[in-house]
Amino acid sequence: MAFKINDYTKSNELFKRATKVIPSGVYGHLGPAEGNFIPVSAWPFFSERAEGAYFWDVDGNKFIDYMCAYGPNILGYNDPDVDAAAFEQAKFGNCTTSPSYKMVELAELLVDTVNCADWAFFAKNGNDATSCAVLTARNATHRKKIIFVNGFYHGVSAWTQKIDYPGVLPEDVANNLYVDWNDVAGLEKIVAENKGEIAAFISTPYMHGNYKDNELPADGYWKKVREICTREGIVLIVDDVRAGWRLDLAGSDHYYGFEADLICFCKALANGWNVSAICGKEWLKDAVSGLSYTGSYWMSAVPFAAAIRNINKLKEIDAPKLLREKSVKLLDGLKGAAANNGFNLVVSGEPSLFYLRIANDDSMMIHQDWVAEMVKRGIFISSHHNHFMNAAVSDEDIKHTIEVADEAFKITKKMHPEAF
Amino acid sequence: MTDARTLAYINLYAVLGSLENLCELSEDARKLVKTDKPVAIGFDVKGGPSATLTFTDGKCKFTAGCEKCNVKLPFSSCEKFNGIIDGTVTPIPSKGFTKISFLLKQFTPLTDMLSKYMRPTEEDLKDEKFFELSTNLLFYTIAGAISQIGNNDEIGKFSAHHIPDGVVKIAISGGPAAAIEVKDHKLTTVKQNPEKYRALMEFGSMKLAHDLFDGKVNAIAKVGEGEIIMRGMINMIDNINRILDRVALYLA
Repeated sequence: MAFKINDYTKSNELFKRATKVIPSGVYGHLGPAEGNFIPVSAWPFFSERAEGAYFWDVDGNKFIDYMCAYGPNILGYNDPDVDAAAFEQAKFGNCTTSPSYKMVELAELLVDTVNCADWAFFAKNGNDATSCAVLTARNATHRKKIIFVNGFYHGVSAWTQKIDYPGVLPEDVANNLYVDWNDVAGLEKIVAENKGEIAAFISTPYMHGNYKDNELPADGYWKKVREICTREGIVLIVDDVRAGWRLDLAGSDHYYGFEADLICFCKALANGWNVSAICGKEWLKDAVSGLSYTGSYWMSAVPFAAAIRNINKLKEIDAPKLLREKSVKLLDGLKGAAANNGFNLVVSGEPSLFYLRIANDDSMMIHQDWVAEMVKRGIFISSHHNHFMNAAVSDEDIKHTIEVADEAFKITKKMHPEAF
Repeated sequence: MTDARTLAYINLYAVLGSLENLCELSEDARKLVKTDKPVAIGFDVKGGPSATLTFTDGKCKFTAGCEKCNVKLPFSSCEKFNGIIDGTVTPIPSKGFTKISFLLKQFTPLTDMLSKYMRPTEEDLKDEKFFELSTNLLFYTIAGAISQIGNNDEIGKFSAHHIPDGVVKIAISGGPAAAIEVKDHKLTTVKQNPEKYRALMEFGSMKLAHDLFDGKVNAIAKVGEGEIIMRGMINMIDNINRILDRVALYLA
């Protein structure tokens, strides 16, 4: 069957309006440039509403959304239980001079849930959490340098960016050291070359960088990293902003069998309500307490209430297992549809955060065309970024996705006779 | 946050290098540098680049090195060489004194002509032919500067380090195209439309390209409006764009 092709008339009109009053129209990862809308005509710019596994754009096009707002949507948009908890809290108060007791309840829940957590500190975005972690590590160790893993993304503050990024000074990143993923020998070398100077090693639990196949930790990698950090007095920070709550409710470090000193959460923590958290070991509690680090909305009660209900519901449904099962079902179907049409679809990373790449050419152009054909038919996926599974995706949604994928593969094949 | 050595490479390879294109695209330029015998002007910059511009029958060819020049202009430093582009330094040849007449009466007016196209007035740009030639020359200069910054500037080298091997095509729809060839993080600009490429960045029109070069429009918004097309290995384009930011810094 031929699926409907989306029309984006209203989206395009709104984008034109937006460019007059908003820098770039839509800036950042949700926008057409950073979001890799290739070609831009295949994508919507603005949504009108969302529910469960779907969102509808301003033209009324419905999408099965495998980007999940780039991670926050884990139970489904507008989850009735989480939203009920948030709306109930809103009746009592949100942003108040004395923080709500909900803050204590959420901290207790995190300490009970997250394996390495002896305490919890709250903020708003993932960047707030990773910045807090680095400040804490520097305060605790009185050292300057931070080791990053090449391909990293830890936020948008100057220290997280690179020397060639607009607005970043060489001094901002002068204490950043870089090592390749899974490279224990490289890590040992860099530690030896900077002995006694390294405050922290910061990394995602596995390499889910953009524009490349995602890589899982090699056998023994994290055990060795943990040993090196402990031996050298380096704070081990796990940036679980992206993967957190989808692999293991006790933290992705727990999933991979080690213990972080600090772990950062955001995205799926409250199913779309805005809160982030840093959890850590007891010995770092004084160091984080000593920071001058706060924000106007960091102790708002509504997102705390949402996070509490979200975490409890994730436990009730055993979300990591459920998301993995749904993802495996989807990925098996996509790989089958690809193979049936002569495509080499490479799937990498953890299933619940799957990364896709068509490997029939070396330029990603075939892949980009296939992704565009999917989006035009209402399956929102990405050509450059890992995806996110959510608990509201049904078997029917997965079946429909695979049917659309089959049609998109056929269309893409006709567009690229040179490759088949 | 620029350095004289990188600027010297840009000035020689990209700015003076675009004389090739000026002679190719302008009848007036061709007439101006017509000679009976080839004149090969070598630029030899101590601690910096060296290259030769060879003028034959109204055509200009750029080659790296100055072993085969018949007029040699030595410069004791990159700063001194950059001074000729600013107009603050007058070069004195160390060989080829018989070609001084070409230097003064043909080459200097040719570079003056180039300057007019590279730094046009609003009035000049109202002339359609002038506008088109100016945009072409700016395009080729920028394309040339990308490789020089990626190979020489410390921050540019950081960007180049993140570009995988392959060809990036940069083009203006209905206008010029160039290839940035990347091998082991070294960049080479080839001022021709490549047959095969791993990534494409195409500006939708000459007007859009000129406005972008002038900083009059926002590139990200134009991506959203579909007037700048990006395809293929976006991580290649992403890093080329970071170098492009520095082109503006050097050529401002």
